Amino acid sequence: MVQKKICMLGGFAVGKTSLVRRFVSGIFSEKYLTTVGVKIDQRTVTAKGKELLLVLWDLYGDDDYQKVRASYLQGSSGYILVIDGTRKETIDVAIRLHEFTTATLGPIPFVLLLNKYDLEDEWAVDLPMVSDLGQKACLVSTVSAKTGEGVEAAFAALAEAMTSS
Amino acid sequence: MAIPHRTPSSTPSAEFPTRKTDDFSALRRLLLAPEQVQLDRLRERLENFSLQPQEVSHVLPDAIRLRAQQDNRLLASMIPITQEAFALSIKQSPQLISDAIAPILGPAIRKAVSRAMRGMLQSLNQTLEYGMSWQGLQWRWEAWKTGRPFAEVVLLHTLRFRVEQVFLIHKRTGLLLNHVMAEGVTGQGEEVISGMLTAIQDFVRDSFHQSQDEGLESLRIGELTVWVEQGPSAILASVIRGAPPVKLRDVLQGTVETIHAQYSEALRNFQGDAGPFLETRLSLEDCLQAQFVKKPGGLPVAVWVLVVACIGLIGWWAYQASLQHQQWTSFLNRIGAEPGIVITSVQEESGQTVFFGLRDPLAADPTNVLQEMGYPADAATFRLEPFIALTPEMLYKRALKILQPPETVTVSIDGSQVVLVGQATHAWISEVAQRSLAIPGITSVNMERLTDTALKRFETLRQVLEGQSLNFLPGQANIPVEESSKLEEVKRTLRQLEAAARELRLEPSVRVLGYSSPDGPEIINTRLSEIRAKEVLKVLQSLSLRAISLVAVGRGVDPSARDVGASRLGISNPRRVSFEVAPAPAPSDGRRE
Repeated sequence: MVQKKICMLGGFAVGKTSLVRRFVSGIFSEKYLTTVGVKIDQRTVTAKGKELLLVLWDLYGDDDYQKVRASYLQGSSGYILVIDGTRKETIDVAIRLHEFTTATLGPIPFVLLLNKYDLEDEWAVDLPMVSDLGQKACLVSTVSAKTGEGVEAAFAALAEAMTSS
Repeated sequence: MAIPHRTPSSTPSAEFPTRKTDDFSALRRLLLAPEQVQLDRLRERLENFSLQPQEVSHVLPDAIRLRAQQDNRLLASMIPITQEAFALSIKQSPQLISDAIAPILGPAIRKAVSRAMRGMLQSLNQTLEYGMSWQGLQWRWEAWKTGRPFAEVVLLHTLRFRVEQVFLIHKRTGLLLNHVMAEGVTGQGEEVISGMLTAIQDFVRDSFHQSQDEGLESLRIGELTVWVEQGPSAILASVIRGAPPVKLRDVLQGTVETIHAQYSEALRNFQGDAGPFLETRLSLEDCLQAQFVKKPGGLPVAVWVLVVACIGLIGWWAYQASLQHQQWTSFLNRIGAEPGIVITSVQEESGQTVFFGLRDPLAADPTNVLQEMGYPADAATFRLEPFIALTPEMLYKRALKILQPPETVTVSIDGSQVVLVGQATHAWISEVAQRSLAIPGITSVNMERLTDTALKRFETLRQVLEGQSLNFLPGQANIPVEESSKLEEVKRTLRQLEAAARELRLEPSVRVLGYSSPDGPEIINTRLSEIRAKEVLKVLQSLSLRAISLVAVGRGVDPSARDVGASRLGISNPRRVSFEVAPAPAPSDGRRE
């Protein structure tokens, strides 16, 4: 079975780990995130009729105290860029991470997810705000790690994109 | 580049005379003849354009290489064709394929079988070594207490080191290329572990600012050590329990180098498909090495226990055999002493003891003797031919069986003579001599002390009868009434006498003797005595005693009565009738019983 390494990227507390938890049932404790800075899980998906093993590297949120390590990005076939839909400032972090990733790995497929879509009252991000970034992504979608809405579809889209590339 | 072809124009023919045209053509032919030939050939090729096999063969290898570098389309196109060709080839020439892969399959199978056998022998050795020892019992207790399998406890205590898992990991992506585990080890999320190991390596490398070529060489937690061997494109992570020897590093490093040498292209172009690395399995399994603690010299307790058990078994078997021999010997002595049985040989047939010999039909049953000695009835088989034994005991048994003596007769054997002592009926005695002589081994019979009960009774009755008498009154011949009871006595005695005579087959004659007193004239007395006798005879004849003939005899005066002294003393009544029995043999024709 073909394996693909993908990274979860996004600002601090945008919900990357919650999205991963929605998608897989892992064996490692999440304390690795704050110690080593990464937690790895896996899940098998089907893309274009073939089984694909996604090895998910959930990287610790990028903030003032800890930056994403370039070495963790090495070998990735794609990534998921997460924005907190209730915090506009996470858009900038996402843009910076996209630039960092592209500089490190070159252009590789990614999906842009606006998380926490279940918090309608606090929603602060419109699609035009991320249109520049969204044009480069193979999918832009609102998702909710809490309800699970859009999560499977987002991973499936990335798997399809990685298989095509 | 294609060259334009100019066809001759016919237009000038309208402006110039025909001769001029011919001259021009002739001139052109003279000047451009070789080029014209080439031009004609090129025109022909362009009009009938197709690639020639010879031309394709020149460029095909380079074309394939260049296209494979460009993308996977050529590969994808060739897969179905190759698969079909391969399948067809197997179908049409299986031997060809078999011969081609035999050099690969043979060593691979041998290696796998050898590894499995090695593991099995190791496990067997451990079980034998520790199964029955004191240490083993302690570990069994530990296994029971902790709920772990005994084999696992033994492994933990005896293991010097064992490589439990080997991960072959793609260095750049952290993706798992291949993974092997030792027998009994349970794996869990190898792909994820592979990623985390890579992440930890990256973390340490970044944290301490080491170059990409550097990396963690060893991790240690509790009894587990992870040794990481770095290669340019892949790393080999080995999970080891116990304390591995340094030389194991050489093995692991050698494996990494070998894999890099064999799979350099695949490692460089790795895009997540670990398929090409399946064949690294045998190399990785070679890294699953183990070493166990050797017990200090001497034979293991289990072996001692086995040896002692074997000696004990042999001893027990010998004791049982000896005991059995003794028992059979005592049985032989016993059966040998049994009258009428002769054992000639003893043999073992199919595990059964068989006795051969001779047995008198009247001898004891050997199976009963066997049971009397405590053996089961089927402990031995007897094949004894019948014969007649002439020992005194068997002669005695046979005499008893043939003569059927009454309880009043004692039988004994004296050499070849039967000695009979006691009382028996006349019928038995009359046949016993003849029957005795029919007994094999008996030549004579001694009946001197054998009494005929019927004869004895006859004699007694005779004496009783001859002692009886009936008294008459003086001058009277009638039986007095007072004598009727005596008469009845006489009748009873006569009946009994007749019965005894019948048994003896005798026909005795009983004479009824009449007497008279000396008083009066002798002639009258004689006559009176006759009448008295006949009177009694008449009464007795009414008894119809067929075996006894009765005769009346008048004796006249009783001689004893002439002796005055005797008469005076009243010894005998002179006026009487008494009796006299004269035995006579029975008729030989046996008319009477």
